Amino acid sequence: MSLNKNMRVLIVDDYSTMLRILRNLLRQLELNNVEEASNGEDALTLMKQKPFDLVISDWNMAPMTGLDLLRTVRGDSQLKHTPFIMVTAESKTENVITAKQAGVSNYIVKPFNAETLRAKIGSVFGVQ
Amino acid sequence: MTEQPLGLDSAQDYLNRLIRELHATATEKKQPLLLVLEYLSRHIKLTRDEIGALRPDGTRGLSSAADELEEIVGETAKAANEIMNAAELIETIATRTEPEIATALINAVTRIYEASAFQDITGQRITKALRALQEIEGKIAALSRACDSLSGAMGESAPAPGDAALLNGPQLGRDAFTQSDIDQLFESFGKTP
Repeated sequence: MSLNKNMRVLIVDDYSTMLRILRNLLRQLELNNVEEASNGEDALTLMKQKPFDLVISDWNMAPMTGLDLLRTVRGDSQLKHTPFIMVTAESKTENVITAKQAGVSNYIVKPFNAETLRAKIGSVFGVQ
Repeated sequence: MTEQPLGLDSAQDYLNRLIRELHATATEKKQPLLLVLEYLSRHIKLTRDEIGALRPDGTRGLSSAADELEEIVGETAKAANEIMNAAELIETIATRTEPEIATALINAVTRIYEASAFQDITGQRITKALRALQEIEGKIAALSRACDSLSGAMGESAPAPGDAALLNGPQLGRDAFTQSDIDQLFESFGKTP
């Protein structure tokens, strides 16, 4: 089994460099159907317009953090099953626990490499 | 004296009045007490002068350092974008070359993408340092404005409430969790959507 190359991915980060890195690394995984948002609020607006197959989000953003976005998504009957990967520099135990309790699908700590990104996306979709 | 702590100005006025009254007293035993009170009065004056020296330009150095840090964030963002421009160009050209060369080039480009995350990480670290500087600057300004109401101005910052306490930014290298630590912790919870 391999990743669905047509899946719609939403990447969320307040650093444009990080959005660009994610987009480029996803392109190398042949995931080209990618949209961007620079905070949780904008991400949520996009998600409500059309469904995404995967959200890859930073944590520390304003006006809505990645954690708040995750909680909102998990609390929304339409969006709650959307796979959600947190990609963040927040790497304390309590962060991982809080994100997990909020229903995160996987957790990547920055800085990360392409292989980690590929492996975590694969793990979320049950693909090696 | 009142129950409220005296401000520096009031405390020194109070001490000076006490010293003058003691000087006017005829008792021989006043001398050791006078020495202590005069020492305290001099010390308060020195403290007041030091606080006064902070105004109006005392925090200019901090503001300037904060501006410099903001510049660093902007400059590294520009540099990272230029690096990415070049890497994306190499990736495009790589697809037109022989497969073996293309693979080597794309692997190198991937490493450039990965390394470009430095801008995000250093940006977060610098922002953290910037906030600390701004907080110090604010406290110094409050202190220099309020010689009469020192209590509270230099207190510890209140801990951030709720989820905000989780926003600490990148950990220092010696304290940081690796991806493998995160994976181990994460997997200990079982599966979610």
